[in-house]
Amino acid sequence: MAFSLVLMCLALPVPKTLAADPDLKPGDTIGPNNWQRIQGMVGENFLNRIKAGHTIQIKPSKTYRALKEYADATEKYSGKVHLGSNGELLGHVAGQPFPKMDLSDPQIGQKLAWNFFWRWLGDDYKTGGAVKGGKIIRSAIEKDGAERRADLVSYFLFPRTRYILDPKPVIPGYEHIDYMQLRVDSYPRDAAGTTTLEIRYADPNRADDLYIYIPSIRRIRRATTTQRCQTLAPSEFNLDDINSFNGKITDFNYKFLGEKKILANLSQEHLPFHRKQGDYLPLDEKWEVVDTYVLEITPKDSNYCYPRKLLHLNKMTFDTHWTLIWDKRGEYWKEQFGMFTPVKLADGREVWSVADVVIVNVQNGRSTIVTATRSYNKGYPASMFGLSTLESVMRGGSIE
Amino acid sequence: MEATQRQLVPLVVGILLIGICFSHASGESPFDEWEKFLQEKVSFRGFVENTTGLSVSHGSHFFDTSNRFIMNRFTIQPEFNVDMTDWAKFFISWRFVKEPRYNAEAKSRKQSVTYFPAAPVKPLSNTFYDEDSFKPWEAVLDLKPHDQLKIRLGRQFISWGETDGIRLLDLINPQDLTFSPPAAPNLFNLDETRIPAWGLRTLYTIQPVSNTILEFFALPGGFEQAKQRVDEIVGSNDTGDLKVRYGRWSAHPETRLTFLGRNAFGNLFANSIRPACSGAAPPTSISCLVIPSTSRELPDAGDSWKIGSRISHSIGKLSFSLGYIWGFNPQSTDMVFKVKGVNCSAPVPGPCLAGTAPSVVNLRLVNDRTNIFAGQFNYPVADLFGLPVNTAVRGEVAFIPDKPYNISKYPGAFGLKATADPKHPDGTVEKHTLRYALGFDRTTLIPFLHPDDPWRAFNLSFQIFQNIIFNHEDGIHPFSTAEKIKRVSTTFTFRASTGYLGDTILPDVFVGYDPEGYWSANPSISYVPPGNEKIRVSLVGALYGGRNKFKSFGFFDEKDSVFLKMRYQF
Repeated sequence: MAFSLVLMCLALPVPKTLAADPDLKPGDTIGPNNWQRIQGMVGENFLNRIKAGHTIQIKPSKTYRALKEYADATEKYSGKVHLGSNGELLGHVAGQPFPKMDLSDPQIGQKLAWNFFWRWLGDDYKTGGAVKGGKIIRSAIEKDGAERRADLVSYFLFPRTRYILDPKPVIPGYEHIDYMQLRVDSYPRDAAGTTTLEIRYADPNRADDLYIYIPSIRRIRRATTTQRCQTLAPSEFNLDDINSFNGKITDFNYKFLGEKKILANLSQEHLPFHRKQGDYLPLDEKWEVVDTYVLEITPKDSNYCYPRKLLHLNKMTFDTHWTLIWDKRGEYWKEQFGMFTPVKLADGREVWSVADVVIVNVQNGRSTIVTATRSYNKGYPASMFGLSTLESVMRGGSIE
Repeated sequence: MEATQRQLVPLVVGILLIGICFSHASGESPFDEWEKFLQEKVSFRGFVENTTGLSVSHGSHFFDTSNRFIMNRFTIQPEFNVDMTDWAKFFISWRFVKEPRYNAEAKSRKQSVTYFPAAPVKPLSNTFYDEDSFKPWEAVLDLKPHDQLKIRLGRQFISWGETDGIRLLDLINPQDLTFSPPAAPNLFNLDETRIPAWGLRTLYTIQPVSNTILEFFALPGGFEQAKQRVDEIVGSNDTGDLKVRYGRWSAHPETRLTFLGRNAFGNLFANSIRPACSGAAPPTSISCLVIPSTSRELPDAGDSWKIGSRISHSIGKLSFSLGYIWGFNPQSTDMVFKVKGVNCSAPVPGPCLAGTAPSVVNLRLVNDRTNIFAGQFNYPVADLFGLPVNTAVRGEVAFIPDKPYNISKYPGAFGLKATADPKHPDGTVEKHTLRYALGFDRTTLIPFLHPDDPWRAFNLSFQIFQNIIFNHEDGIHPFSTAEKIKRVSTTFTFRASTGYLGDTILPDVFVGYDPEGYWSANPSISYVPPGNEKIRVSLVGALYGGRNKFKSFGFFDEKDSVFLKMRYQF
């Protein structure tokens, strides 16, 4: 146990000191002979693969600009936003809650968490919408390299933080809902048509609602959402691993560990990225140096599965690039990285979207890759996120 | 009229489809447009499956089924999805089944049947279980003329209710229990055993945020050809009706009612036409025996009109629905036959009156329309008095006013367990009946049972079903046996499932228990190869037992079987 804690401490990214080589330049190649140059800038498991022979190349950093409407809302509404006694967000209407970051603020961790939660994600989006075929592709890879594939689509609607689509900033009647998500499985056939409707409420004391339409009985089932740690087999994700961190913000404590340069990919070239069958490593994607905030998440519930989770938040987009997870014994457990890619809005403006996401369970050797590029602002009606949609799903069919 | 209706449906659907597709295809050359349309808008799915069954029970002289193959069912089901426009989608599938019959089963059936007077008996036809029609299994046109209005036209399934494994409100589509063992959802789930029906279903969302939805459906039923039901507990050896034959999962017939060495099942419902048989002295004449003769008028269960409506709503965490179904109740155990008359088994009454021939009671299926007032709810419970419960509670209720039951007098005359009840000369009685089910679902982590992944949960589900007969009367019984139905009947079910080794090994068990002393178990273990998500191989058991063979799960206690199911999805 003590040895594990020592290892855990060694793995901690110490603020401002772990960027092994801040002078990484575009064109540099990192491999088994010079892996030390990126130590601490990638996950430990990924670094071990480089030590073992994998090479990566550095490319120029891609920069995105905040969408004008989001920036305007931030400017307009952020002045009235503050934290409640339990860390809840008060006075928030739209935009980034805390645009002015005082890193010495004792509440900076909680504020970063809210900035992450309310980062720009469009008024709605379809995950998989920008992938060829219009679906999320998920590959579950066993330790021996055997793979199983599943296709799905998910739709998000943010009914009370809308920037472009009318009505804005809120759809009347939906002021109490942070987001609604529909997820539809489409492959393989027996899973096709399985559809979940998840609703996240603004009330910090109200648990999410989760309805599941099960095609084999053609009925909607209710599920509790308070057991969030169970593995969503055969993947290595659980409910709170979706989008790196999907927990209810007020259920956790947050600690800002510092700023840090890490390696990420904000302009993924191939969707999905090229890789060897049975392995999660991206073969010909280049990496770039990105400035991040390091946020430590610890649960208020001592029974929660992840006693410690680290997010590396992009300073501009507040998306996460690397997510590192430890178990209750203090041993390194899961490592997640997400690549991003530029996508266009309907008016031609460039924004960013998550592209491929990889989660690796370093303890059992299994990994999961999800190609999940989004298309934003599709104009989904709120009525689509209801039980009548679940009632009318057909196997393999679209719900749009 | 019926034939015209059958021709009309594909015609209307065809015209609609052509109209929608032509309205979509415009501008480019038709060939390019169609190629693009097929690539982007049409998806193809389906599966091929083979199920082999082996009986492992000791069998009986009625079901001489010990240690032999009872099933080799090959199914192929292609499915097409067409996303024609934003407001119109089309789904069509076909189900083709080939299931060879076995000579041993046919012989067994012949040998098991006893008749008085002697009559020829035939086994089920060799193609009885086959599905080889090109009529679509499911064909639905989904229209969305408005964001809040959804219309589904075509041959479809409509499932109400909240239960798992056993149906309560899920009565809108009939269920085909000819090929599937009862209470065995791990072998054939509800979706595989329901029979689709042509009709209309609409969902109008009155208020989206609270999921306030008004639903209406209408299924004419006349478009379907009635299939001979063989899952019933009315067998030809009991009734003398050559059109009704035992199927693989027919319940065990009543064999305890014998009079002078003959089956006295008919005496449950009527007295002999010979006056002396009603006398005080115990009769010894064959003329006191009553032979049953059943008949039914089509449309049969599931083949007639059904309409229904319900309104759903959510308040906080509670979701609920209230509804009404008007239609024929297709559950086989609900079959009730009414006495339509008694006559002599000989062409003229003389032999019966003279004491040399038995009487025949004519029993006809009660084809009453059934009113069902329905309700269902679900509610997730996170904590209870501060304790983490993490359980989803669900329930459904059906109130069936004036539900018919068969009734007899206990104990019966001539030393029989039961005979005709003089208070109810037609052998039936109507009673208000309430059925409800409560279910509790939760996921539970049991780390010591999951050394490979302590966070892979077990899915646990517990259900209680109760049937309550108001103004209950002693002597109410199922048509086929002389076992009384009590005022309150209860069944419990429990289900547990999980996955091992990255969900490549999937155990699941469904257990049923009737506190009167009957049980069923439906364990299964499936293997999904880690390198191929399309293949699934399952080993399934269907086991039954109880204190006798004439009630509840005990009906099937000589039909214990194991199955190997291999499925390939495409």
